[in-house]
Amino acid sequence: MLTCKELAEQASLYLDKDLGFGEQLSVRVHLLMCRHCRRFIHQLRLSQAVIREYPEPLDTQLDELAKQLAERHKQP
Amino acid sequence: MPYEADDRLIKRLLGGEQRAFTELVKTYQSPMRAVAYAIVGASHADEIVQDAWLAVVRNLAKFEGRASLKTWLLTITANTAKSKLRQIKREVSLDSLPGGHDFNPDQRYAEDGHWSKPPQNWEQDTPEALLSQQELRECLDKTLASLNEVQKSVLMLRERQGLELDEICNLLDISASNVRVLLHRARLKVFATLEHFEETGQC
Repeated sequence: MLTCKELAEQASLYLDKDLGFGEQLSVRVHLLMCRHCRRFIHQLRLSQAVIREYPEPLDTQLDELAKQLAERHKQP
Repeated sequence: MPYEADDRLIKRLLGGEQRAFTELVKTYQSPMRAVAYAIVGASHADEIVQDAWLAVVRNLAKFEGRASLKTWLLTITANTAKSKLRQIKREVSLDSLPGGHDFNPDQRYAEDGHWSKPPQNWEQDTPEALLSQQELRECLDKTLASLNEVQKSVLMLRERQGLELDEICNLLDISASNVRVLLHRARLKVFATLEHFEETGQC
């Protein structure tokens, strides 16, 4: 039986669907029974989403770069 | 044709359409920078990305669509960075820099492996609600700055760009186990930052 601590160690592999069938099953069974770990995985997913949606500073120089590249492309 | 959208963009680029170049740069500058940053570090990353763009433009006609455009661009960036690296030689460390919050298992679990300090409910329970807090964004900036270059790039390439772990290993020349360790630690750091902020209202 997987402990909560072991589940945390495998959490990223679980999120990335990188565990073998048996291991994946152990995690799922544990999650069914353990609300703390359910919350932990939920909050890890939330952390992933925060990074995904984190606003990136707009690079104002990109328009200029695109222009230069297009110019360069025209030159033989 | 597996990459139809890429193919269309390439045709527009070869046709010299200005808007296509803008689209290209805006879509791929960020992941290219993440790759360069991981390989040569902050001080040389911009220079590498510039060189990579020039190489891309020179070789546009040679793009054959065997891989996605993104993979092709990131491979060019990685190769440009690696040849630079031979000149500047740098040690890649897997350690985080000091600063930011860590998830410390010793303080969270009892000896039997059960939670001793389980996670609590967060008041803000969506990414939008979390990110709407200016102070939290500042905390996240600090945490991201505390990740080493490779770790930060791995996190960005995986979470923001959705690259497969194998692809990240190949681009950055790191082992499959290293990439997993780096990613896991980085995620835990982000989690610990959010958790600390939700519990205390402070960084």
